[in-house]
Amino acid sequence: MDLQSLKRKEHQKRVKKGFMWALFCAVLWGLWYLPGTAVWVLNPFDQMYSEVAASSGDGVALVIVAVLITALNAATVILALGVWTGVLGKFGEMKRTAKEFHPCSKWFFLASIFGGPMAILGSFIAMGFVGGAFAAVAALMYPVVGAILASKWYGEKVTKRAFIGIIVIILGGITIFGGGVLSEIGSGNVLWVGYLGGLMAATGWGIEGAIAGKGLDIAEPDVGLTLRFIGEGLIWWIIAIPMLAIAGFPMIKYAILAFEPLTLMVLIFAGITFGFCYVSWYKSFPLIGVGRGQGIGNLYGLFAVIFIFLFFGDVPSWTILVGGALCLIGSTVMFSEDTGEMESLRGD
Amino acid sequence: MVQTQAAMDAYNAYWANSPLPAADVLWMVVILIFAILALWQARTFVSEF
Repeated sequence: MDLQSLKRKEHQKRVKKGFMWALFCAVLWGLWYLPGTAVWVLNPFDQMYSEVAASSGDGVALVIVAVLITALNAATVILALGVWTGVLGKFGEMKRTAKEFHPCSKWFFLASIFGGPMAILGSFIAMGFVGGAFAAVAALMYPVVGAILASKWYGEKVTKRAFIGIIVIILGGITIFGGGVLSEIGSGNVLWVGYLGGLMAATGWGIEGAIAGKGLDIAEPDVGLTLRFIGEGLIWWIIAIPMLAIAGFPMIKYAILAFEPLTLMVLIFAGITFGFCYVSWYKSFPLIGVGRGQGIGNLYGLFAVIFIFLFFGDVPSWTILVGGALCLIGSTVMFSEDTGEMESLRGD
Repeated sequence: MVQTQAAMDAYNAYWANSPLPAADVLWMVVILIFAILALWQARTFVSEF
């Protein structure tokens, strides 16, 4: 076998692994919806919602409870990523990357700002002020933002075929949640801040992907992602939670009350799925590019529907089945792309 | 804080209509399987590249 064939074989293997990691991301993200949904009915969050809603209204209560759940989720994600990094024996690498702030870790801390408070909070605002289906559709748009930014910023190549795949997956996602969006928007009295939340989610995750793609030029994805979540944890626990507590919301009281066995167990499973899905997402970027990684990652909408049917017994409607079929077509378009097209992910 | 009866009822109601047996436990098993699979693949990936 000559050097050229060896190089091609190695490249094909990398692309295959890249799609595998993006698929892991989609499956684990879909699974996250099980603990991510169930945790809301458990105490102390149920009681916190009632207390905040009584004084500030339902919309504000939803966002405030969401901030606490997200902050606790970030904490359990850090624990899960600690296990991940430990099993891979990369604590030393993490120390080295963290020390190199200027070339390395600054990208991951920047990614944590866009992915954490901007995207996740934006998604919860959209959920609280418009509805869950609208928030999901808004979030599905992020690969377009990510692919455009990565292409303009550092010349990442997005082939016509990959772009068609991304668009078909997005259309599939819109079909999955479309009926819900129409009824949510049609119900009237939607505050503009809800739409702003949707915009924050799409742009936040898109920008995070592009920034991560840049940081991953010189850092390991496993380590980079762990640093990104440490950054997000600091933002929630050092800035957001204390600020909301000063503003008069019962954040500290309910954060302490969250130390209850069932609540903690559900949060830990949310942390495992979210942390492992995110690290798989980051691992796919250097192998297949930000646009493709985010496009395949978007299959989470389909997997969420499947797992919700399997475990909650919610039977999907026909629009969900059509949307699911579109998602499968879109991903097949991307999977079946000639790997030679991805020989160089950058436009050189 | 101990879970109230209402919170436990709402939590158990999620798994009550699942077509799968013991769905209230099975979802955790499925997550653990996928998590272990991902970790194993990550270990393999480290040794391959």
